[in-house]
Amino acid sequence: MREVAILGQGLHPWGKFEAQSVTELCRHAVEAALGDAGVKWRQIEAVAAASSRFSGGKGWGLNGNDIVEDMGSTGIPVYNMSAGCAAGANAFNVGHMLVASGQHDIVLVMGGEKMPKGFIQTSGLEDPTDPEYLRQRCVGLPGPGFWAMLCRQRMAQHGTTEEDLAAIAVKAHKLGAMNEYARFRKEFTMDDVLNSSMVNYPLRLYEICPVSDGAAAVVLCSKEIAEKAASKPVWVASSAVATADFNDGLPRHLACTIGPENAHHSEAKIAVRKAMQAAGVEHGDIDLIELQDNTVYYELAFPEEWGFIEPGTAEQWVAKGDTMPTGKLPINPSGGFQSFGEATTAQALWQIVEVASQLRGEAGGRQVPNAKIGLAQSLGLGGNATATVLRV
Amino acid sequence: MSEASSRETVESAEGLFAETPNGPRLCGSRCATCQTPYFPRSSGCHNPDCDASKMEDLYLGPKGRVWSLSVQTYPPPPPVVTVDPFEPFAAAMVDLEEGLRVLGRIVADDPGQLNVGDEVELVIAPLGHDPEGREVVSWQFKPV
Repeated sequence: MREVAILGQGLHPWGKFEAQSVTELCRHAVEAALGDAGVKWRQIEAVAAASSRFSGGKGWGLNGNDIVEDMGSTGIPVYNMSAGCAAGANAFNVGHMLVASGQHDIVLVMGGEKMPKGFIQTSGLEDPTDPEYLRQRCVGLPGPGFWAMLCRQRMAQHGTTEEDLAAIAVKAHKLGAMNEYARFRKEFTMDDVLNSSMVNYPLRLYEICPVSDGAAAVVLCSKEIAEKAASKPVWVASSAVATADFNDGLPRHLACTIGPENAHHSEAKIAVRKAMQAAGVEHGDIDLIELQDNTVYYELAFPEEWGFIEPGTAEQWVAKGDTMPTGKLPINPSGGFQSFGEATTAQALWQIVEVASQLRGEAGGRQVPNAKIGLAQSLGLGGNATATVLRV
Repeated sequence: MSEASSRETVESAEGLFAETPNGPRLCGSRCATCQTPYFPRSSGCHNPDCDASKMEDLYLGPKGRVWSLSVQTYPPPPPVVTVDPFEPFAAAMVDLEEGLRVLGRIVADDPGQLNVGDEVELVIAPLGHDPEGREVVSWQFKPV
């Protein structure tokens, strides 16, 4: 396997963009990535794209084909990847393999999404054989209710308080306010968060993420090309994809077995473990983490489930500022999903771009001092997860 | 809503629950080889360590313990069944004695009255009405 570098990267800011198509958002990100990489469209040898769930792609998730037609058809291969909200990093994984294997030297990875308003209808099917339809029809459990149940379990187990949760939202927005690509660039006080409306106890409106539009792109290249480039490359130390363990005790449909596994989202734990092993890094080597915080709860649970923090102590880390960019374990210096909102299939790639920005030392007021190694993690419907380790 | 339709009752899904001589039960299954229980019924065993999937039907319940729960304070979109006008409801993940963690709504006067660890039991009770005005019944849990 060859070493692979991120030669360039680009984002379209996250937000709501009624007048623009998803392909227009993607083109903005792609042109920014090409410009950053210093390569022309004609030099792109293959595209790995996240299949959009809600927008473009000819209704078949063919978003990579849309961008190729838009930029100019050159006959190159296109891989459209579907993995729920993990799709962006799934595409990154394929792009990485295309270069690492020696098949291609310069590959574009991209993802974009325009979200419909309101709740995500995870399947949209009205089919009694579809487990997601059955879950909504027989019980009724939209995403925030599911997250609230996990959080409530933590409260019972570890004594997490409503103030502990609000403190994470305050931290997220303090950082998001400094991020030019974030949708919400405003700081919140503890009172602001605790006075926001209760969605599903214990989670309030400012403790879950809304839906957003956005697009992200990166240009990957071989070591030979990266070393000739004008700017210092960010290296892909590893890219891992995983699915869930049978016995993890998380009912993704109507029921599951009660296993011994202490990580409820086993797919995320497996992906992170695989990525760290492949990169040859230990917990203490990682300078920052961008993790999927659909709700502030995940900023407590995930670092513990992955072995970074002793179980039941993450609240204290947040309170002491240890998860801030200048702390012991910076988590979501971007401002996270709390500041960006969820542009489902695009967001995993945005997280990778954020980590790369940190390693390039270009994160401004959010900069993690002397960041050398970063981890990005995503989670998607169907028990999909990804983890990516970057280094400089 | 017409008089006729208001008297009509439908199940939230076919074949998922039943009123048995011993009381309400969930209609699940179990692999005779590795003893893994399933709900709804499964045509094959999903245990990756089981080499011989051999499924048999199994009634599940009625006793369980709340693993976690949440109160739905705002009306979710269809196909979720609610009452009109909307009233908040609690939903829970309940650990059954058979070793399954099952989702279900909570039947209680106050949806906020239950806590993690509380004992519950299965009931078959109305969720609300569907867009056609029919009453929809489903398995739910009530405090013991």
